[in-house]
Amino acid sequence: MKRKNVFPFCAVIGQDNIKTALILNAVNPSIGGVLISGQKGTAKSTLVRGLAALLKDTEVIDLPLNVTEDRLIGTIDIEKAIKSGQRSFEPGILMRAHGNILYVDEVNLLSDYIVNCLLEVSASRVNHVEREGISCCHPSSFVLAGTMNPEEGELRPQFLDRFGLFVEAKGSEHPAERKEIIKRRLEYENKPLEYIRRWEEETEKLCDRISKARQLLASVKVSESILKLASEISTEGNCAGHRAELALIETAKAMAAFDNRKYITALDVKNAAELALPHRIRKFPPQCMHEKKTENDKLEDDIENSNKNTKGTDETEENESNKEELQKQAENPPHMNPWEGMESPACVENSKGDGNDESVEDKIEAPGELYQIKPLNISAYDKKMRKGSGKRSRTKTSSLQGSYIRYTFPKGKVKDIAFDATLRAAAPCQKSREAGGVAVSIKSSDFREKVRKKRTGNTILFIVDASGSMGTRKRMKAVKGAILSILNDAYQKRDRVGMVAFRKDRAELVLGITRSVELAEKSLRELPTGGKTPLASGLYTGYEVLKAAMVKDPDIIPLIVLVSDGRANVSLKNDNPVEEALSAAKTIRAEGIRSLVIDTENDFIKLGLASKIAKAMGAEYLKLDELEQKEIESAVRSVI
Amino acid sequence: MNRMKKVYPFTAIVGQEKKKKALILNIINPLLGGVLIRGEKGTAKSTAVRALAELLPEREQVCDCLFGCDPNDNSSMCDSCTEKKAKGQKFGTVLSKMRVIDLPVSATEDRVVGTLDIEHAIKYGEKKFEPGILAHSNRNILYVDEVNLLDDHVVDVLLDSAAMGVNTIEREGISFSHPAKFILVGTMNPEEGDLRPQLLDRFGLAVDVVGERDTAQRMEVIRRRLEFEEDPDSFALKFEGHQQELRERILSACQMLKKVRYDDIILDMAARISIELGVDGHRADIGMIKTAITIAAYNHREFVSGEDMLEAAELVLPHRMRRRPFEEGVMELSRVEGIIEAYGVKSN
Repeated sequence: MKRKNVFPFCAVIGQDNIKTALILNAVNPSIGGVLISGQKGTAKSTLVRGLAALLKDTEVIDLPLNVTEDRLIGTIDIEKAIKSGQRSFEPGILMRAHGNILYVDEVNLLSDYIVNCLLEVSASRVNHVEREGISCCHPSSFVLAGTMNPEEGELRPQFLDRFGLFVEAKGSEHPAERKEIIKRRLEYENKPLEYIRRWEEETEKLCDRISKARQLLASVKVSESILKLASEISTEGNCAGHRAELALIETAKAMAAFDNRKYITALDVKNAAELALPHRIRKFPPQCMHEKKTENDKLEDDIENSNKNTKGTDETEENESNKEELQKQAENPPHMNPWEGMESPACVENSKGDGNDESVEDKIEAPGELYQIKPLNISAYDKKMRKGSGKRSRTKTSSLQGSYIRYTFPKGKVKDIAFDATLRAAAPCQKSREAGGVAVSIKSSDFREKVRKKRTGNTILFIVDASGSMGTRKRMKAVKGAILSILNDAYQKRDRVGMVAFRKDRAELVLGITRSVELAEKSLRELPTGGKTPLASGLYTGYEVLKAAMVKDPDIIPLIVLVSDGRANVSLKNDNPVEEALSAAKTIRAEGIRSLVIDTENDFIKLGLASKIAKAMGAEYLKLDELEQKEIESAVRSVI
Repeated sequence: MNRMKKVYPFTAIVGQEKKKKALILNIINPLLGGVLIRGEKGTAKSTAVRALAELLPEREQVCDCLFGCDPNDNSSMCDSCTEKKAKGQKFGTVLSKMRVIDLPVSATEDRVVGTLDIEHAIKYGEKKFEPGILAHSNRNILYVDEVNLLDDHVVDVLLDSAAMGVNTIEREGISFSHPAKFILVGTMNPEEGDLRPQLLDRFGLAVDVVGERDTAQRMEVIRRRLEFEEDPDSFALKFEGHQQELRERILSACQMLKKVRYDDIILDMAARISIELGVDGHRADIGMIKTAITIAAYNHREFVSGEDMLEAAELVLPHRMRRRPFEEGVMELSRVEGIIEAYGVKSN
């Protein structure tokens, strides 16, 4: 079904950045596509569709989220195989996308497996097909356009880098503009065809300008000084690899051509940098951070770094002044989307030492600010099939629920038959088989099974130290900020969460395991501090809660996050409190529950108890101020 | 449906005016974008949606079309209807009622988007598309009970087609797309977990329901329920008058809809409200105006009033208030009221 009515591209008010980025890509496909990130309801998709309607020779090919591998890459033509016994290639989306725009709405929700295929093809511009007895390859070079809402989770760094340009979509703040937006939309909905016709002239004009620019593009000269400028800007921004410069130059070329010029100005480069660099700039030069890593790791981390650190930077000053400016912006990314908070001031405040004050008085401290935490990719230990849904840990699934992404050869009894693949396997043999009244005879050797994939969310249990020592010098503020940040992450990954707090003489289940991260946040906000530190009791309670949850649903992947300074001073049964805590930690380890210890100790004299407990528990160990995603080295990731 | 099991009549539901209104407005104007009903258990959420089926108007659709295309709407026709029309073929049309299509929480992705027709493939060695739930829901109501428990990847595909009004299938050897414009109606119990903001925003309206607090009302609820269970037929008969009245009112509102006018000041108001309350994107503004127009039509007025705007804001904004993950999305109606009053249009 071809989309007949689309809201006219020119009739969209504002969003100039998106429009420019799209037009530039239409002028010069070598730019490498565009990623539009932003709030819901800001004409992201409308503009991409609008562009397609505008360009007569370029199509927009949709890549729906439900795509399976065979349709993406292409496969054997079943009908032909059955009727004539010939193996012939039936092209997939990648073939159709050649020379066109490949559009992925909600690109951050695309299954990893499909992303891998896309990465490979978009890098090599050739699609190699080796499957089901088909062996062929065809060129597939396309402009990748994606839209996403960052609230739904981030994009893989390597995938992010494939997009030539990055623009942020935001709603308008001007009443007059908003009014006009409503008006136009309503008019359009009332009489779509008439409305489109009304904008025809404008559309025609833009279309002409684009095709003129295309012709001019080849004759746009790139001077030495422009090349130098571009590479200087990229170096200053610590961009990974050379894709940044290339995108920068190609974008500047397209800008010049669109302006009907054959030369590039410094302003073109500056404007191009605003589009091509935001997702590539990062804070630290890579070499000082991971010297020991292998080449491969390094590349990946570099890209990752560029993503995590400086998503928000989108303004670049002219050449000379931009050194400082970039550096400054990179360190303090402007607060662009609500989900990616700035560095928490609470952590800084916190770095002074304080006494071990055991006031019994209860107080409730407001949490510190949210920030992006390091990735907590805790994957399942085993190859157990799991049910359940979520986005953190990938697991193969045996239920018929996951998303069907590819097929495999069945082992044992076929339960979840991949009919399409089975048919394809049987098709070429039809000529030589007896058909008993049906067109296709299928033998058991043809059977293929579906491979479904889904991510299961973890079940994260927070064990929070709420004793008096946590209440001093705003330490609890930082702790709450940290937990909230993890909760924020948990929300995006659809984890289930629970919370145990311990203080005074015992531990208490503040919140049973729930899917509502909001409830967890609420109970955290209201959590009082004061009293002694019954750490062992906290650990045991947590252990019991998770154990019960595991009995109820064996499919969950449990994770304990212990937030404490480890200074246990209340025992369960008149023993040494620290020893007791250590033995509780060992019990948890023995059960195979994964854990993470966040050490809040920042006193002048460090006892290092939390790290001992982490060791006993086999836990990943992080200091409170290390949790924030400001450095690339991710200790947590190494566990996997 | 009638012959199988009597449905509890819509008009017999006690109280819950806001919820009923939201549902009715969506029938009058399918472009409003659906309703999300949030509330505790046992507050007649599902009952109301199912009861809606009885009230739904009849509309023209192409005979034998899998997707029930509208013969007069060229822009959202499926491929085969478009082809027929282009060739100048006449197609037969039938009048049929809008339906409520269920999307069970356990639905698998292939049943939702549609898949390869296995039987056809084996018998004839040809590929054929077997339509899924999204195909059936074109021009109908898609009802998801406990929408917050829906599997993640099903939500993803649902988002995809809800946004575009088109379902694109690229799976299991099938490459196909068809119109899927539906009114999304979801119910959920917030205690069970939250809905993702992206999906939340796709619902045009949202209402929060609570059980009746008034004893007399509560008693009336029980009385009617018992009476219905005892003898559904005569109970339904008792309310037939009300039902008919409502049906007619909906029908006349549908005709009225195109005639409703609004002042420039109303647009101003919508923009101002959205800015002041800090709502993401522009979907809220547009939704507010459309809802206000529909309310005016329902009240048989040709002009949108400030009062309509207030009522619309109450339905359109609550689920769009949240800006940050953990900030409670509280909607301050008094602020909306203030803004509307400031424009000199009486809101009362």
